[in-house]
This record gives sequence, structure tokens and C-alpha cells, in this order.
Amino acid sequence: MSTGQVIKRAKYKTSVKDPGTPGVLKMTENKIVFRPNDPSSGTKLDMEFRFIEKHKITKEGSNKPPWLNLTNSQGQSYIFEFESFPDLHVCREFVGNALAKSEDAPKVVSDEQLSTADLQRRIKLLQEDSELQKLHKQFVIGGVLTESEFWATRKKLLDIDVSRKSKQLVGFNNSMILDTKPTSDGRTNKVTFNLTPEIKYQIFALKPAVRQAFLKFVPSKMTEKDFWTKYFRAEYLHSTKNAVAAAAEAAEDEELAVFLKDDEILESEARRKIRRVDPTLDMEADQGDDYTHLPDHGIFRDGSKEISEPQHELYRRTLSQDLNRQGAVVLEGRTVDVELEDPRTVAEALARTRNESIGNTEQGRLDRISQMTQIEDLQTPQDHPFAPLCIKDPRDYFDSQQANAVKTLNDSQAKFDRCRLSPEEAYGSLRKSIYKIKTVGLSDPIVSPEVALMVLNGLTQNISSTKSLGKNSQESVLDRLPFATKEELLHHWVSSQELLRHFWSSYPITTPYLYNKVSKLKDAMSLLYSKLEEIKAARSDLRHQVSLIVHPMQQAIEAALSHYDTDMRKRAARGAEKPNGYV
Amino acid sequence: MASAPSKLYTGSSFFLSDKNNTHVFHSYSMFDFVIADDVSLLVVLMDTNPFFWSTFSLQFSDFLSHVLTFLNSILLLNQLNQVVVIATGRNSCGYIYDSSTTSDHGLETGTMPALSSNLLLKLEEFVDKDEQLGKVDSEGAIASSLLSGSLSMALCYIQRVFRSGPLHPQPRILCLHGSPDGPEQYVAIMNAIFSAQRSMVPIDSCYVGSNNSAFLQQASYITGGVYYKPPQLDGIFQYFSTIFATDLHSRTFLRLPKSVGVDFRASCFCHKQTIDMGYICSVCLSIFCEHHKKCSTCGSVFGQAQADVLSAANRKRKTLDT
Amino acid sequence: MPQVKIIAKNFMDMVSSLPAMKLDKLYENAFICEAILRSLQPLAKKYVLQMLYIDTLVAAKLMEEWVLPDWFSKHRVALDRLLQLRIFTETVDRKKEKMYRINSTFQKNLQKLLVHGEVLPREPMPPNTVRLPSLEDLEAYALAQWEFFLLQLISSNQAERSSSISSAMLKVFKRGLLSQRDKEAPKLTESGFQFLLMDTNAQLWYIIREYISNSEERGVDSADLISFLLELSFHVTGEAYNLNTLNDVQRITIKDLADLGLVKLQQGRKESWFIPTKLVTNLSASLTDSSSRKQGFVVVETNFRMYAYSTSKLLCEILQQFASLEYQLPNLIVSAITKDSIYNAFEKGITADQIISFLQQNAHPRVALRIPSVPENVTDQIRLWESDRNRVEITPAHYYDEFPSREVFEAACDCAREWNGLLWEDSKKMRMVVKAEAHMHVREYLRRQK
Repeated sequence: MSTGQVIKRAKYKTSVKDPGTPGVLKMTENKIVFRPNDPSSGTKLDMEFRFIEKHKITKEGSNKPPWLNLTNSQGQSYIFEFESFPDLHVCREFVGNALAKSEDAPKVVSDEQLSTADLQRRIKLLQEDSELQKLHKQFVIGGVLTESEFWATRKKLLDIDVSRKSKQLVGFNNSMILDTKPTSDGRTNKVTFNLTPEIKYQIFALKPAVRQAFLKFVPSKMTEKDFWTKYFRAEYLHSTKNAVAAAAEAAEDEELAVFLKDDEILESEARRKIRRVDPTLDMEADQGDDYTHLPDHGIFRDGSKEISEPQHELYRRTLSQDLNRQGAVVLEGRTVDVELEDPRTVAEALARTRNESIGNTEQGRLDRISQMTQIEDLQTPQDHPFAPLCIKDPRDYFDSQQANAVKTLNDSQAKFDRCRLSPEEAYGSLRKSIYKIKTVGLSDPIVSPEVALMVLNGLTQNISSTKSLGKNSQESVLDRLPFATKEELLHHWVSSQELLRHFWSSYPITTPYLYNKVSKLKDAMSLLYSKLEEIKAARSDLRHQVSLIVHPMQQAIEAALSHYDTDMRKRAARGAEKPNGYV
Repeated sequence: MASAPSKLYTGSSFFLSDKNNTHVFHSYSMFDFVIADDVSLLVVLMDTNPFFWSTFSLQFSDFLSHVLTFLNSILLLNQLNQVVVIATGRNSCGYIYDSSTTSDHGLETGTMPALSSNLLLKLEEFVDKDEQLGKVDSEGAIASSLLSGSLSMALCYIQRVFRSGPLHPQPRILCLHGSPDGPEQYVAIMNAIFSAQRSMVPIDSCYVGSNNSAFLQQASYITGGVYYKPPQLDGIFQYFSTIFATDLHSRTFLRLPKSVGVDFRASCFCHKQTIDMGYICSVCLSIFCEHHKKCSTCGSVFGQAQADVLSAANRKRKTLDT
Repeated sequence: MPQVKIIAKNFMDMVSSLPAMKLDKLYENAFICEAILRSLQPLAKKYVLQMLYIDTLVAAKLMEEWVLPDWFSKHRVALDRLLQLRIFTETVDRKKEKMYRINSTFQKNLQKLLVHGEVLPREPMPPNTVRLPSLEDLEAYALAQWEFFLLQLISSNQAERSSSISSAMLKVFKRGLLSQRDKEAPKLTESGFQFLLMDTNAQLWYIIREYISNSEERGVDSADLISFLLELSFHVTGEAYNLNTLNDVQRITIKDLADLGLVKLQQGRKESWFIPTKLVTNLSASLTDSSSRKQGFVVVETNFRMYAYSTSKLLCEILQQFASLEYQLPNLIVSAITKDSIYNAFEKGITADQIISFLQQNAHPRVALRIPSVPENVTDQIRLWESDRNRVEITPAHYYDEFPSREVFEAACDCAREWNGLLWEDSKKMRMVVKAEAHMHVREYLRRQK
């Protein structure tokens, strides 16, 4: 589109049935503007292309008028009726291009597009840390760094918060699916069960034996339909509480027997559960488990009439067993995340997660026990892990150290030639001194009163002269400065650190983006340098102390600036053929 | 586990001392006992480098006389005060006096306190031994004394005191030093300094040599001790009694001399030279005066920086205000 | 707060209250100089040391330079004590600047000590002539003797050997600690109970102080006695010293001290000698410090039960002052801290703080490392029980009424307020109650109004 914009007459409809408002549609590179002919009409439109998600048109030759249907991300659609199909095609092409472009655009700024949660976290961090806020204001708002660059060096701050947030799991439908209600038409003896993929999933989850049988039989031995028929037949037998009939049927049909017998997998699981019953009491987990005030809790089956003879024990399932199972599965939640269309994949996925979770729960249990029993006195002290300094080859290290030390000793020996005493003479004089004091005794008085007084006066003078330097020897030069200067210097120090970090991390320069960043950083650093110079000049009374602090900062900045200059010169030299300068 | 008990003891002892003070006011106000925690353990590191003393303006005998008087005065101040003297020789170090083990009453001569005669006896033995070691070594004159060795011995002694129980005297170290720094001892001395800092043992230093000692300046600065270079050598005792006799308890109330400029320069690990600028291993923080391919301490391989960029890029500066 | 009943001055206060003449005489003895130096606050010690070789006046300003502004009070206290003891003397020069000078006798003696060491007035007897007890035996003897003496205080009927305590010593205690009504067994006073809860050194000093302060009654010069005691404290524990080296007064004193376990007397065939125990050699050191404390033995649990690992009968008696005994095993005393038992202690005049500090000081090493060594709920409860008893405060006061006019009444109220003595007023009926301290002022004021 050389013109960069398209203007067509069109009717704007908010819905298909809307008769439409005649007017002019003007499309520019990133905007759609519709102006109705009648200025008083309220159906004005002014929106950006980046909000448009898809576009549809009516086909030429169909009985529909030439419509362009744009849909935004919220699913709201805007329909324009053009005067002719050529108009429509021109517009369609334009819209297509525009949409393609606006799709491109977000890619560049994609890391800028943050979830509101991310944004809030950043804002919170800024609010909590005034130092950070100052830096942010100075560099991001001052245009030296972009938002993402600024935060890139502080990933850790953000990550901590992220890890706290966990995904919410989709829950498991909490209705007794075992009670899939049969509908009977009343006239015949036929009973119909309605089966949806969701129900199938729930059955698999609740009854591992059914899942296993499904994997075993379908489709090798029977069709899926046969399988489900058999299953529901067994279920029906259960629901009629006719244990005798159930036993009889099971004897005839071994596949049916699978469904009628107690679930073996469940049983083994129950055994395992009993084994891992937590010896400690988890008060937190038991809280709110009080359902006694709900009399029936919506139970479809009536457990009171479940009586049967002991020999059919095998085929009897109690309500409490069902309830427990249901509860356990609901608590586990939806553990697989697959399409529910194909029962086989669902069954397989469930079988997999089951095996995994066994290992996990075992570990979890151990963890929990150790947590619960964490009474200080009983625990071995929790040593914080540390990484010992690892000297790769100690012999090599110490040998080289030794060799170097000896070498320097020899050097220094040469230097100390001027003390021309032989060791014998030196030790001799030392011994003479000791002998002397042994025979003569300590000199008395050890110091003459005049000297003592002089020393005391001298020391006192020293003390009072350094009085202005602060209270004790522990405080640094910084504490001796006035508060405002100190604050200012500290801030400059932090910002110089921030700048230098960004500066050095952008080398080597490989993209124009980095190139721009570095030059921006360089400007900011020179500014900072001159500011430091100003502070030095302003506090002439404390010039010495201030320069003690400022000097290292300036040196670091100087090093960066000179590196920038040499790099630039090199680029200029090399970049005759490559005008951009970057590789 | 090795370091844990010492930390525990120092911590608790400091706390206990605080508590003592408060409850004393509660309960014994009737007796008005001021229970002051000035019970100190003073570990004196005495430089006995013969080359230094034979060229120095102050006679070693005079110096000894001042030191011995000072030690006596420390023991005089409190019955429970304890003094340990470690000789810092050229080739070795050794304990030459420990007031807790020496019974001072056997050698009373009348001319001088028992402490002095005991100490001098041990000192003579030490000097002989030191000379013997020097002969075997035959390296020639080493200007510096083994300060790192005696510092380590002092710290070991103090650690033992810490472990003896919660009611131990408050330790401090006093370095009486004259010979110049030995840059080859840099790492060992710095390690000793930091371990002293960790166990909250201040290192005082009285440096009588010609130039300031960067090691001792740093030692005192880091551990919160006093560094002082007495200008008037015939009055050394007065400096001792005015500055270095001050127990840790009283130091909270007093203003003591502090050094204005501390030389923070480090020695490189490779050639043991004192350097202004150098290379630091980003893994283990070893310091080198020139670029190496590999860190000799931890074995990390350094990246090959571009030759011309290198000079500026890798130089970092130790600053004192960080 | 209940008043602390034993208001005994520090031993050094006693020394400092001696007349100047006597003090100067005391300082002629080097041992006294040393003992007194050791008794000073750390800061004062430092001042003495730095003045040790200065023989001229030193300006107060110069010394103040060294003090950090926040701690000026410490400096003041240290200097005051030095002036009190006449170690420093203050003069004001023409410019009205304060100057200090160190006592020259004191200074000379200390200088001598530093350079020449200390020389005892008497040599120990050569070890081959006497049979010396081992140091452990000696310490056990001293402690047993001391405990026996204390036990006598608590329950005199239990002391079988009561006759062995000399009359001079008993006189000392009768003064404050024991009260004896006619025909009744002597009973401990409130101060007596407080005394029991103090640590050994404090008790020792209390006794010694009392002993010295009534020495005049026995015709002994207190300065002599002080110097002898301090001198004794520099003798070596476990060495034997011949009694012949003492004068008569000193010999009597030694016998008294032997009763307390400060020295052990022994008799050979020809000569007799005394052996100083730890108690006496600690005397000068214990003036300032608490480090000679012995190991603790008490464990207090949060359930108010108290376990004391001790075989000492004395300790059992002391614990019973504020806890009820539950059972006693050969080396363990189990007792409970109850409201009744604590109230009992309060009745006897023991304060909550004293009980708590006793428990803290004697905490078993196992719990002593813990902070706090005594559970907080126990200490809090003991303090609460104490404050329960003090809901009513009695203040001596005077009651005024029948004022001639409202003006006079109000003026009197204001006057009382000014003296911070107005306790209650009823402006309708014109009555007021004034603290006893303010009574004089108010009365004076009202008189002037007339």
C-alpha cells in the first residue's frame, strides 16, 4: 500500500440484522475510522488494528451483499457493507496487510507485554524499595534503560514472587458417578445409561479395575460398546442389591465378574494406605471435615438396606467403600490433562499417573513426618550447605606459592643489603640487650615525668584533633560526611554500579540495539562523572574525605569510558566497509 | 562443628556480661558492688627480629624494660587479668610467657618482678632457637618477622580460652612490631585478621618501625583495635599505659587514637608484591598482578579477553567504602 | 517496691570515709595500694595508670578530651571515686581551671610494685617443716566452715558445734541478721534472709565490713585491721605462715577468721601456723568482680519445679526459704515454687528480684547457657506475686481541714503541689492530705499567711 490508507463508502453494522449506518470508512496503517454521513448518529468507530483478531468476507457470487466482518479479541464483530465487491477486495487486502503487520509488531515488544500480575509485582517492588524506585525513575523514566533491561538484572526479585504462585488445578466433578442414573422407559424392561466422555473419565479414575479391564479387553476381545454394556449390567446388578443374582451372573461370565468383584487394585491400594497411615496427627488437614450436620448429603443410594448372606460377601460393595473412594478421587483432583474423547488414551494416562504418584506420596509422607517431628532438641543441627573452596591440585598450588615466595625473598634480600650485619652479630646484640636488662633490672623510673607528660599532652592533642572525625574508629569516612552529602554519594554509587553493570554486560556489541544502549549508557555515565566532580568541588571543606570515596567511583567510570572510546575507534577503523560498525 | 562452639561462647559471654551488669543493679544495689567486666586476656606479640633491633634507634633492652613494666601493670590492675607473650622471631614464633601457668613466686629476686625474670629466661632460649633455625635455613637476612605465625598462635590460644567455659576473660591482641611487612605473608595474615574479626578479638598494634605497617593498619582497622605509631620512643610506656592498657569495657566510653589513612593495598598471590591494581579471580577472589590463563588457587580458566580491551575491562578496584 | 533492708556501704566507701590522716597512712602499705587500685572501676584504673609517672598537675579538661560525650557520667563517677579515696587531689588554678594530681605516696608505691615486684611481709614456712593439706582439701575445709557458719544462722538448733564460733563473730551477726527476744531462740531478721541469698563473696564482705566497723569497740584500730586483711589477701593459698610473725591483735583476728574458714590454723610440735584459704585470697579480688563464682546447680522448669543438684544442707535450707520441698535424693533436691512458698519468702522480707537473681546466678551449667536461664514465665510470675502484695502503698501524711477561706485553701493546695506533696484534696469541703515531707513547708506557708 503505497498510499498507506484506504477510504471507501460503506455501511457500518453492529450486527448482521442491523440495517446499517451509511458513512465513510477510512483505514490507515494501524487504525480504522468510520464516520457516519449523519454526524448526529452515534455509531462512530475509531479503533486500532492491533485489537482486531480475524476478518471474514462474504464470497462473491453468493447471495450475500459484500460484507467485511472484523472480529476483535473480545469476540465483538464489526460488519461493513460495501457498495461493490471490488471495494471489498481492496479493503480486504488492506486489512490483511495491516493485521499481518500488527501481528509482527507485538513480537518486538512481546516481553514488554506483561500480565497485570507481573506489572503489579514490579510496582510493589518499587514501592517497597525506595532505592530501587529512585534508580528506576532515574534510568527508565530518564530513558537510559528500557523497562525490560532494568528488570532483566533483577530477575531474582521477580522470581521469588513467581514461585509462590501455583497454578490452580481443575477439580474433579464431585457427584457420585457410580450412581449414573438409569432411565427406563417404563414400558419395557430395557434400562438405558447415558454415557459421556466425562463420565467415562470419572469411572476410570474411580475404578482402576475397570480401567485395567478396558485396556485389556478393548478392542481385542470386545468392542467398546460391549464393554460399557457389560459394565453397566454389573452396576445395575449392584444397584438392585441382588447379591445372589450378581453371584450367579458372575459365575456365567468371567468378564462380568471383573466388575462385580471388589476392585483388586483398590484393595492393594487400601492396604498400602493403611501401611502409610501417618503416625502424627495432621490437625490442619482434618479441620473442617465435619459433615455431621448434613443429614443425607445428597446420597442417591440408600445404604441401610444392604444386607446379604455371608457367602456372597465377595460381590457386595458397601456405601462407605464407594463414598471413600469417591472422596479420595475428588481430593486427588484431575490428574491428567488429555482430551477426553478417546477413552483408551484416558485410561492409559490415568494408569501412568497412578504409578508415578505412588513414589511421590511415599516421599511426601517421609517429609511430612520429619516436619511434624521437628522438635528442636531431637533434630540434628541443620547444617547449611556450603561449597568448600576447591583447590584443584594442592601440591601444584603450594609449590608454586613457595617458589614465588622464595623468589621475592631473594629480591627483598637484595634490597636489604644495607643492613650489613651478619646474623651472628645481630643475634649477639639482641642477646646482649637481654643480658643487660637481666643484670641491671628494669630502669626506674621507666619514663621521666617530663616525657610522660609530654606524651600524654601529645596524645590528647591527637585525640582532640581527630574528634571531628566521628565517634569511634569503626565508622568509615562516609559517616564523617554530612548526612545530605552521604546520601547523595550513596545514591551516586548505586547508580554508577547499575550503569556499569549494564555497560559491561552489553559487550561485545553485536546488534544495533546494543550499540544504542551502550551509547545511551555512556552519556549517562559522563553525566554522573561530572556530577561527582561537582560534589567534590562543592564540599571544599571535606575535599579529602569526599575524594577518598569519589575517586574509586570515578576510576571505574573512567575505565568504562576509555573502553568505550577504544572500542569506537576500532570499529571506525574496521567499519569502512561496514558503515554500521557492528559485526 | 569445629567453629561452632567458639562462636557460641563468644556470643553468650557478651550477653552474659550485659546481664550481669543489669541484675547487679537489681539485687546487689545494697552492696553497691560495681561488677565491671575488665578482666582481660592480653596476648602480646613481641617482635624479636635481631636485624631490626640492631639497626633501630631504641635499644632492645630499653624497649623490653618498657614492655615488662607494662605487662606488670596489666597484671596489677586486676587479679584475674592474664598476660601471654609470644615472641615473633625471624624464623619461628614461640610462647615466652603465660601468666596463667607460670607460678610467679618461685623466682622472686627482689630486683625485678618474677614475671620479668621468667620472661627473660624464656626469651633467651627462644632467641637461641631462632638463630639455630636461621642457620639451617641459610637464606640470609630476612627483613620481616613471622607476624602471621605469631598471630595464628595468639588466635589459637584465644580459641582455647573461649572453649574453656562461659566465664573467660575478654581477650585482645597487642602487636608490638618494628620490622617491615613481609608481603609473602599477606594471605596468611589476612586470614588471621579475618578470623580474629569473626571471633571479635581486637588487634591493637603499636608499630615502632620507620614506615607505617599496612598489615597492622588493616588488622587494627578490621578488628576494631587501635593502631598507633608512637612518635616519642623514650616514652613508650606512657603510650602503653594511656592507650593500650585500656580494657575493652572502658573502650566503649573513651575516644582512642584512630588512624586517618589506612593502606588497604593487597599483595598479589603470584609474586607476593603489594599492588595498586590487579586481577581478581571471579570465582575465588584470588588477587594477581598480571593476567593468567588459569587461577592458581581454584583452577578456574579465565576467558581470553581481547588484548587491547583487557587492560581496562578486567581491572577492578577495591574500594574502602563498599 | 519493698525497701532493701541491708543498706551496707561498699567496703571501699568505708575506706574512703576514713579520715585523711588514716588514709595517707594506709597508702604507705603497697598491698593496700594494690588492693585499692584493683577495687576501682575500670576507667578509674586507667586514669591512675596514665598518671603513674606524671608528677605535675594535669588539667581536668585534658582528661575530658578522651571521654565520649555520651559517657561523661562514667568519667565523673570514676573521678569522684578517685577524689574520695584521695588518690587524686583536685586544685583550682588562677584561671579557675580544675587540675588533678596523683597522691605521691600511692604513686611511689605502685611504681615500686611495677619495677621491683611485691614483697610479702612474711615468708612462707619451708615446706619440709610443716605438713600442708592439699589445695582441694583446703578448699573443702573452707567451704565446709563457711557453710557451717551460715547454717548456724538459719537454724541455730541444727548447729552442734555452735560453741566454736567466737563471741566476737556472733556479736557481728546479732547486729543485723539475728534478732533474739528473751528466752526465745534467735531468729533471722529480714536482712538475715536477704543475706543468705547473696553470693559467697558478697556475704564475706558483709561480714568483714561488720567485723571492721565494730572493731573499735574491741579496742582495735580499724585502719590496722583493714590493712591486715588486705595484706592477708595477698598471701599464697595453701602455704603455711608462722603465727609468730603476727602481733597480738593480728593473732586474735586470725582466730576469728579461722572460724569463718578464711584461714586454717594448724599446730606443730613447737610452732603453730596459719594457712590462707581461697576465701581470704579472693578478698581483694572480690571487691570488684564476680568471676570467682562457683558452678551453678539449679534447674528451674517452666512448670515451676526446681531441681537442685546439691548435697548441701545449707542449700536445702536456703531453697526452702522460697520453695516448698517435694523430695530429696542423695544428690538432688526437688522442690516446687508455689504461690504460698513465694509469699512465705516475701513475709520474711526477701524480694522477688533477689530470688530471681539467686536462681539465675546458681543456674546449672546446662541451663546457664540458655537465655534466659530461668524460664520467663517463672520469673514473671514471681514478680507478679510480689506486685500483688503491694497494691496498697502506705505514705505517711498529714490531714488538713477547717480552712478559713477558699483562697487560703487553694493557695495551700498550690503550695503543696509545688512541693510535689499533694496526695488528695476535696475542694467542696476544703480538706486536703499532704505528704509528710511536704508538711513542714505547707505548715510554714500557712503560718506566714496568718
